[in-house]
Amino acid sequence: MHIVFGGAFNGKRKYVKEQLKPDPSVWLEGELPQRGETAVIAGLEQWIRKQLEQQCPEQDIIAAIRELAESAGDRIWILTDISRGIVPIDPLEREWRDVTGRSYQYLFGKAQHITRIWYGIPQTIKGDGRDEYLHENWG
Amino acid sequence: MVPGQLTFISGGVRSGKSAYAETLVRGAQGKRNVYIASGVARDREMAERIARHRKDRAQDGWWTIEQPQQLSEALPLIRKNDAVLWDCVTTWLANELYEGFEQGSLCADTPGCMERKWQELKTAIDSIRMKAVYVAVVSNELLDEPLVDQTYQEWLGKIHQWLASSADEAIEMENGLAIRRK
Repeated sequence: MHIVFGGAFNGKRKYVKEQLKPDPSVWLEGELPQRGETAVIAGLEQWIRKQLEQQCPEQDIIAAIRELAESAGDRIWILTDISRGIVPIDPLEREWRDVTGRSYQYLFGKAQHITRIWYGIPQTIKGDGRDEYLHENWG
Repeated sequence: MVPGQLTFISGGVRSGKSAYAETLVRGAQGKRNVYIASGVARDREMAERIARHRKDRAQDGWWTIEQPQQLSEALPLIRKNDAVLWDCVTTWLANELYEGFEQGSLCADTPGCMERKWQELKTAIDSIRMKAVYVAVVSNELLDEPLVDQTYQEWLGKIHQWLASSADEAIEMENGLAIRRK
């Protein structure tokens, strides 16, 4: 399980296409694959938003992500950071950031390898076995 | 002719990125230190702040060029072996993208408008590098939140990616700490 993480328009998809070279036929945008399927999952935050708009409760959303992440299959998750803006007044907007943040925390804990992309420049923040900044990585 | 070294520096508001960029430019041993400022005063507090910064820099031996748009216009004012600081990409982009606001015809809504300005920007930066011994470009981190203005943010990401890839060094500022990404 590999996560490619970073802000919007930072070149995450470009990095995945050029460096990780996944099979383009398994590329999903804003949707989840079946459990056990090999996939590139992009736009997870959009999928989460869609679930919330359809009144799906948080525990069901997190459970779906967990079941997928724990199933067999090689997957790349492209996660867009939406965490650093002003906390909005609108409840759905707030909930979206909350659920997305909690999902990302779970996925970060689970992934073997995390690459952060900053304007096209990759940095391994988990999984290179050295030079890791976060002591929680092993938890 | 070897182009001047380019450093791209980005960070949050009050992260110390401008102060750090000034230190880099001063250390570059250019014939002059030139400051290209793209900020526009929209209220009195900003006007006072810009005037204060300008005065501080002048006392410190800087040449200031006010260039809110069309970076290429600063080019004739730059001399060979100057050390140049451009501050910053985000204000420049807002000035260019929302040009025509008073006339009701935004550049952002005009097909090809920003594309042309973007080509001009790349040429301007490359041309400045042909004269200057050192160029530092400062910008802001505005892409780690849900999209507020997709057109603006998409252009900013594109410009930042180009700067990071063209630069000799790219630095992310985190509360006064310079993290070298390239």
